[in-house]
Amino acid sequence: MHILFFAQIKDAAGLAEWDLPVAGELTMGELWHRIIAARPELAVFQKSTRLARNGEYADATTRFTNADEVALIPPVSGG
Amino acid sequence: MKIEVQITPQAIEPGDGGTTDFAGTAGAIAKFAGVVRDEEDGERIAALEYEAFSPMAANEMRRILTSLAKRFPCLAAHVIHRVGIIPSGETAILVVILARHRVEAFGLLAEFMNRLKQDVPIWKRRALPLRKPAFTKPASTSRPPSQILSMTDARAHIETLVTPRPAAEATLEQAAGRILRETVFASEDQPAHDRSTRDGYAILRNDPSTTYQVIDTLHAADWRPRQLKTGEAVRVATGASLPCDHLQVIMQEEVERHGDQIKIGARDENTNLRKRGEEIRAGDPVLTAGARLNAGTLAVLATAGCVRPRVSPRIKVVHLMTGDEVVPPGQTPLPGQIRDSNSTLIRSWVTPLPADLWQQRLPENFERAKTSITAHLPQIENADLLLVSGGASVGDKDFTRALLEILGFEIVFHRVNLRPGAPLIFGVAGSRVAFGLPGNPLSHFAGWHTFVSVALARMTGARPPTFLQGQLATALADAECPRETLWPASCQPAAGRLELTPLRWHSAGDVSCLAAANALIRVPANTSALPAGATVEYLSITT
Repeated sequence: MHILFFAQIKDAAGLAEWDLPVAGELTMGELWHRIIAARPELAVFQKSTRLARNGEYADATTRFTNADEVALIPPVSGG
Repeated sequence: MKIEVQITPQAIEPGDGGTTDFAGTAGAIAKFAGVVRDEEDGERIAALEYEAFSPMAANEMRRILTSLAKRFPCLAAHVIHRVGIIPSGETAILVVILARHRVEAFGLLAEFMNRLKQDVPIWKRRALPLRKPAFTKPASTSRPPSQILSMTDARAHIETLVTPRPAAEATLEQAAGRILRETVFASEDQPAHDRSTRDGYAILRNDPSTTYQVIDTLHAADWRPRQLKTGEAVRVATGASLPCDHLQVIMQEEVERHGDQIKIGARDENTNLRKRGEEIRAGDPVLTAGARLNAGTLAVLATAGCVRPRVSPRIKVVHLMTGDEVVPPGQTPLPGQIRDSNSTLIRSWVTPLPADLWQQRLPENFERAKTSITAHLPQIENADLLLVSGGASVGDKDFTRALLEILGFEIVFHRVNLRPGAPLIFGVAGSRVAFGLPGNPLSHFAGWHTFVSVALARMTGARPPTFLQGQLATALADAECPRETLWPASCQPAAGRLELTPLRWHSAGDVSCLAAANALIRVPANTSALPAGATVEYLSITT
């Protein structure tokens, strides 16, 4: 799974893109669990951060697979 | 509704977003420009930096406009959002709405901006502070510091403000000494098959036969899977992959062989094999981000087939030395001069690291130093870590702070309540950091190991060095000092534990004690003496 980091998450992780191999279909909660297991420094962002799957915001019904591009979207501040 | 969306690093011009479409139909053109102000959180700023997840941001804007068009039927919407560094006074976003009447144009515009600020993945990254006017020494250096940080607070500031450098791929050869920046997972079981740990004969576990037919011979590199039957055996070498599951290996010492027949004497419970995945299962993490890549961790990566790990990059270090009284080590000092030991100290600390060092001597005169700096600007501005030796105090010739400011560094602190090395300067400019180290060798020693090492650890993604606990081998007698003290010490094993012997030093100019120092003992402020055997905190020093 290709993961994209932005803004303060990119700073905390120290990189913009990351490949996390996953098996099967993951729920949002399961994916967060995998991300935090590998990168504990990102745990603080979970509450405020939305996930996007292939360029669209994910919701509770979204399932993630290894083929997806997942973006971690911290609170936005454009405009 | 006709929708046009652009995300661009280019400046937005006042005429952008204009159109002659719908001329005659559009009775209302609502135009909104979001402009970067010259202050942010009460601070004067020069610019704001924006970042976008561009493809998604553009799609999200289109989606919002499409859905709002149902409530506010307009003719056209054109949005331009600029990203990158946007100077104050310039436009960050321009929205132009064309509609038949003003009501729906205003409605769409207002609602779009609200939704943009909630959902569109664009971020204000940081405010760039207004640079101090170039080439003026700020008055503040001659003022007493308003607040002096403790060592702990100063270290915490460094830890917070220094961020990891972007990771890069490296070969295993290049990766030595770097910090692993990704968690590496096993792609296959290790071992990949059940493997024999003995030279002997593989038979079905619990096969009660007494004589067996030897049907194959397997060496370490062989892979010939087959299902063994009762009464069958396979000759296996140590390390050989077994042909199927549920086998055990009988050591050859326990076997009598005649031609292709074997007879087993004693057999024990021991299966004499390493099970598939016994060491690592496919998908398990074999090494987590933050690991330092030494011989052992590199061997683990090699075993996992990870030949291009993502690691911390090489750190670019620039070291500038000030002080006219300092002469190169090969030169005999004239009266009033001393030999330079600081450049040797810094070089010795940087050389073993995955880092590139560039050292340069600066003239003592501020004007001449600026000329020298200008000549070497590309080198200096390219450094991740800038170190300036000397000139950190508040004397007439101490211009390090002013120098760092004209190089664009924001000074975070310029004094620490610590002995030795109190006049320590720490500044940041974006992702670059700078330290001004007081000129005395002992101050360099304390400053490097206490503060610079924290910044280096953060840049590379390693864990910053922490204080350990140990016992004093001999009493530490000190005159009561209102500042916290880092006391050079020798840490040696004694009677099965580590003991710290405080070394003699008189002033921060002492160099001799550095030859034996491999630890810094933390002596709290206002401590007069510590007895032998007292438990103290210390920083272990390996270089």
